[in-house]
Amino acid sequence: MAKSMTYAILEGIQAEMRRNKLLTLLYEYQKPVAGGEKGAINLEAEFGRWRARFCAIDEQWIVGSCLGMSMIGVPAIAHIPSMTTFIPYELMFNHAGKLRHMTGGQAAFPMVLWADMMGRVPAQGGQHADAGLESSYARLAGLKVVIPSNPYDAKGLMIAAIRDVDPVIFCQYPMPSSGPPVPDEPYVVPIGEAAVRTEGSDLTIVGYAPQTVEIGKAVEELKKEGIGAEFLDPRTLAPLEGVMETILKSVKKTGKLLTSDDGSYSFSNCTEIVARVAEALPGTKIKRLAFPDAPAPGAPEMLSYMRVSAVHIVAAAKKLVKG
Amino acid sequence: MGPVKEVKRKKAAKPAGEEFTKDFLVGLLRRMMEIRGFEDKVFELLARNVLQGASHVYAGQEAVAVGACAAIDQRDYITSTHRGHGHSLALGADLKLMMAELCGKATGYCKGYGGSLHITDVSLGILGMNGIVGASHLFAAGAAYGIKVKGTDQVAVSFGGDGSIQGNFFSSAANAAAAWKLPWIGIIENNGYQIWVRAADVYGITDLAQRAHGYGIEGRVVDGNDVLAVYNAAKYAVEKARAGNGPTIIECKTYRWYDHYGAGGAKIGVDGAFGLGYRSDRELRDWMAKDPIPRFRRFLVAEKVLTEQRADEIVAEVRQAVEDAAAFAKAQPLPKPEDGLRNVFAEGAVPLHTC
Repeated sequence: MAKSMTYAILEGIQAEMRRNKLLTLLYEYQKPVAGGEKGAINLEAEFGRWRARFCAIDEQWIVGSCLGMSMIGVPAIAHIPSMTTFIPYELMFNHAGKLRHMTGGQAAFPMVLWADMMGRVPAQGGQHADAGLESSYARLAGLKVVIPSNPYDAKGLMIAAIRDVDPVIFCQYPMPSSGPPVPDEPYVVPIGEAAVRTEGSDLTIVGYAPQTVEIGKAVEELKKEGIGAEFLDPRTLAPLEGVMETILKSVKKTGKLLTSDDGSYSFSNCTEIVARVAEALPGTKIKRLAFPDAPAPGAPEMLSYMRVSAVHIVAAAKKLVKG
Repeated sequence: MGPVKEVKRKKAAKPAGEEFTKDFLVGLLRRMMEIRGFEDKVFELLARNVLQGASHVYAGQEAVAVGACAAIDQRDYITSTHRGHGHSLALGADLKLMMAELCGKATGYCKGYGGSLHITDVSLGILGMNGIVGASHLFAAGAAYGIKVKGTDQVAVSFGGDGSIQGNFFSSAANAAAAWKLPWIGIIENNGYQIWVRAADVYGITDLAQRAHGYGIEGRVVDGNDVLAVYNAAKYAVEKARAGNGPTIIECKTYRWYDHYGAGGAKIGVDGAFGLGYRSDRELRDWMAKDPIPRFRRFLVAEKVLTEQRADEIVAEVRQAVEDAAAFAKAQPLPKPEDGLRNVFAEGAVPLHTC
């Protein structure tokens, strides 16, 4: 059985906690426990309660304390739930992202904000079915934002995030156990590098996290119709410069860009990617697919009508290539 | 968890501990004088439009910073606020590098990136002067958690004003510090005003340290214009924290002589800012009569720790040091404009988009 997202992430954290005797994880109710074929992981049992601590429902504390302790050289991971992703926004915006600059390079926050994201799931409604919050974090100065789409990237990006001396926001959407097998040993997926999921020369499709499942299906469908899509997964949303090199190289080849996003249509990371492509490569044919600028409704009938699926991606891709 | 304690004294607190040597006591006075001298100069430079930005002058509150910082060691941490010049100087920050930072020079403490609001010297254990009210408490409590992870006997002290305890930063800090007996000391500098709003108009309690009870923390109220009273309360809290007995919240009652920021209502050569509208001149005069510096000076002279002549010499030395700092700052180079793109991340620079 392949390793789950959570198992892969905890395996990465476990290895880093063994390597760095100060690395500390604070969380609310999401116990750092996972079972797998390679044995169960239980970070609290292994490292003790000071280093793996459950806290009150208080994201301000979980994130703020991780900033405070990371400032004195105790690297920390703050794990917060999906419906409260924005409660610590002020801390990341005004403190984590600015203090290095404000202090002329003196302050450092070697910390990770491990933000659970729910995505557009049915029967939750509004607060518990959100997506796209990573884009709001990615626009803030001084922060790195990574967003894995499979367990392999999740483990490698988490280890990269922990080892990074800058604050990193690690966005975890519920993703299937697909993609490359996850090695037991620690490894790094470098921050700032996009992944080319499939190669093609007819159009470039960019998307991340839950949309990668829909894009993956769409690419297979398009192949049957003789359209070769190059599918890029940014994996890092901030800083975007390294990722843009890969995207621009692809779009230069295909001349067409389709983005697909579970976040809102306006002010999303895909919007930013589109803007940069339009600026760098005038004449590119561009199409954006996204969730409307609306909360997610609970009833599946409404939700699935609003969310981008493989069918929509196939239709938009065909229109871009043929239309 | 006892009731809020007023640390009552009949007269100025009596030196009791071994640490009350002549050098120590005179050192407290000198530090307070340095802060006052520095702030007087800052105010003068603001009034003459030499200084840009929003300096928040600390004059009047010196006993709080000096008393509290005297109770900690080099190994400990503090977090400070927008009104933080006094905290840094109390810990021994360099007057010249302070002034250079205020003047936006490349050789200032923050290389010109920070200015008055964010003077930081991590080598002194200062984890940042933070311009967002209340954040100081949360960061210090977080550092206190980190101290527990490290297993050392350090402490983390946060300074915050009367306005710093209502937002949820303070609540988060206090709750966790109480739950896990973190070595955190929260100092509430109650100077009566949060920006231009009277604390008494927005709080239902008079003694803000009462809040401590709700979290399960010992709260104390002290005369914030009495440097030894602040020191004694802080020393008690520091020893308690080092021994693993958890946090203390200390409210220091004091007063801000100048406006929230800048030079409004004040004249060069005259102490205090008058005619500000939101407070009465009489209230200011009453507090200026309780000026912590001459009060402590009189005490030291009465106790024969110091002669009037020596005290005058210290005043002159401090004045000279401040003038030297201002001259140093004036002569320092400006930052390179392109350095604004640096220090966003640990490595490299972000791209420029002006062309």
